[in-house]
Amino acid sequence: MGKAVKIAIAGEGGQGVQSVAEIIAEAANEEGREALYIPNFGVEQRGGVSIAFLQIGEEQIGSPKFQKGDIVVALSDRAVRRTRQYVDENTTFVYDSSIEGVEDDLPKNAGRILAIPAIEVSKKELHPRVFNIIIMGAVIKATGVVSEEEARAAIEKKLGYKFEQDPRLRELNFQAISRGMELVEKAQ
Amino acid sequence: MVEKPVQEEKRVFMTGNEVVAWAALAAKADIMYGYPITPQNEIMHYWTRMAPKYGKKFLQTEDELSAGFTTLGGVLAGKKAFTATAGPGNTLMQEPMSMAEMMRIPSVVIIQQRGGPSTATVIYSQQEVTMTTYGGNGEGFRIVYSTASHQDVFDYTIKAFNTAWKYRFPTFVLGDGYQAKMRESLTIYDPEDRGIELLEPEPFFGKQAVNGEKQPLHIRNTYNTEEELYEVLSRYMDEYMKVAPEIVEYHQFDCDDAEIVVVSHGVVSRAAKGAVQELRKEGYKVGYFRPITLRPFPAEQLRAVADKTKTLLFVESAFGQLAKLAQQAIFGSTVGVENLFKPGVGVTSEEIVARVKAMV
Repeated sequence: MGKAVKIAIAGEGGQGVQSVAEIIAEAANEEGREALYIPNFGVEQRGGVSIAFLQIGEEQIGSPKFQKGDIVVALSDRAVRRTRQYVDENTTFVYDSSIEGVEDDLPKNAGRILAIPAIEVSKKELHPRVFNIIIMGAVIKATGVVSEEEARAAIEKKLGYKFEQDPRLRELNFQAISRGMELVEKAQ
Repeated sequence: MVEKPVQEEKRVFMTGNEVVAWAALAAKADIMYGYPITPQNEIMHYWTRMAPKYGKKFLQTEDELSAGFTTLGGVLAGKKAFTATAGPGNTLMQEPMSMAEMMRIPSVVIIQQRGGPSTATVIYSQQEVTMTTYGGNGEGFRIVYSTASHQDVFDYTIKAFNTAWKYRFPTFVLGDGYQAKMRESLTIYDPEDRGIELLEPEPFFGKQAVNGEKQPLHIRNTYNTEEELYEVLSRYMDEYMKVAPEIVEYHQFDCDDAEIVVVSHGVVSRAAKGAVQELRKEGYKVGYFRPITLRPFPAEQLRAVADKTKTLLFVESAFGQLAKLAQQAIFGSTVGVENLFKPGVGVTSEEIVARVKAMV
């Protein structure tokens, strides 16, 4: 019985980081594991960095938030600066390679730092709408918290009603998971 | 006939606010009165979404004073009524709940603590302990359950209705913004399927005559003389002290040979539990004590622990509001006291582990 895996995902409002965390949490719960997901929330109605805190383990999770994550994902320049505090030598820090001007802000103390071209892939190969699903693929590859199959099932559960209307969306989402996983594999 | 909200036991994954709405339905609550304030808004969102399907009602009032008083009005009319609030809303809620104490009106209030004083943060704290246990101009004739998990939130929300109607003291379920907003798994169930009898509400006024005689009722929150009030309050205090031992709940482990016992409540006790378990594995003699009822407080039980251990380490997301209740309860004890106070922010097990190691 290892400790729970701790994941923080941060981005701009609208990038869908909360949905990603929620889908992964539900996938883990479906597998019968213990999951705890909490969004950060403040008084701002829009704007600001959105952070999702997610923990997955075999036993009931302790405190809802944590000081240092095993995986910290930052999807904007502000998110990189905001999430440095959650990084230590055991952390894998993942950020999007298209973010400019953050070279000096990357957490140098991270165990490893992975840059992945998720934004570019979503725009050029798939669709900007599935950007967050690419990130989801990246997170499950980097952590192994849930299988690709379970991730697909969780997406089906969440978006199945949309897939009914347009089956191409299903394919697009499933491709996005696979591509996200590949991006992490390549970056490692 | 309207279907039961929870047909069979099932594992679910949801936010704490959603859990409250399910629990209130399972406890057969009739109506919620409320006024929005973060982080408890979704209680009324879920309640209003689900309640009409089961013939339940909702009224949004103009503020928390009104939400509290209308809740009491609903109870007087014979309904199982409840409300929910947080932070500055909890401050306003103390006025109607004082009346509930004075008139012995059973009522259930869910509190999801946020940062204070004043508006502070909408996020999280354990800073509403003093107010929820002893708020208002009175003597704290109330019951406060402090929950730590979604299972607790479900179990104790159901229990709160029975406690309130059985003892006729206002009953609070004290959660916090983390518990309100986080998602985790729990098992929901129909309490009656588990053999839990749900107490039926009855109207205070307008009762049918018995054998041709009217049933007079006189409930007051105004007294003319000091002596009159003193007599009533003395009787209330006697009754409260008498039932307190059967209401008190707490959880402890590894205290028997412990040199340090970590005392915490609510969501912080999750971190404390993890910390104590980890420290034990490393050979540290550490114990865990968690009051579940903050009012009445498990005084005797903590005193017994204090008499055996060297130091109590109070850990809370406030500047000693739990510690104040606890130290009053163990007055006269010579046990050492240390604190880890982080008002308005969460506490992790790593911090508690580090603190205990620094003490040894």
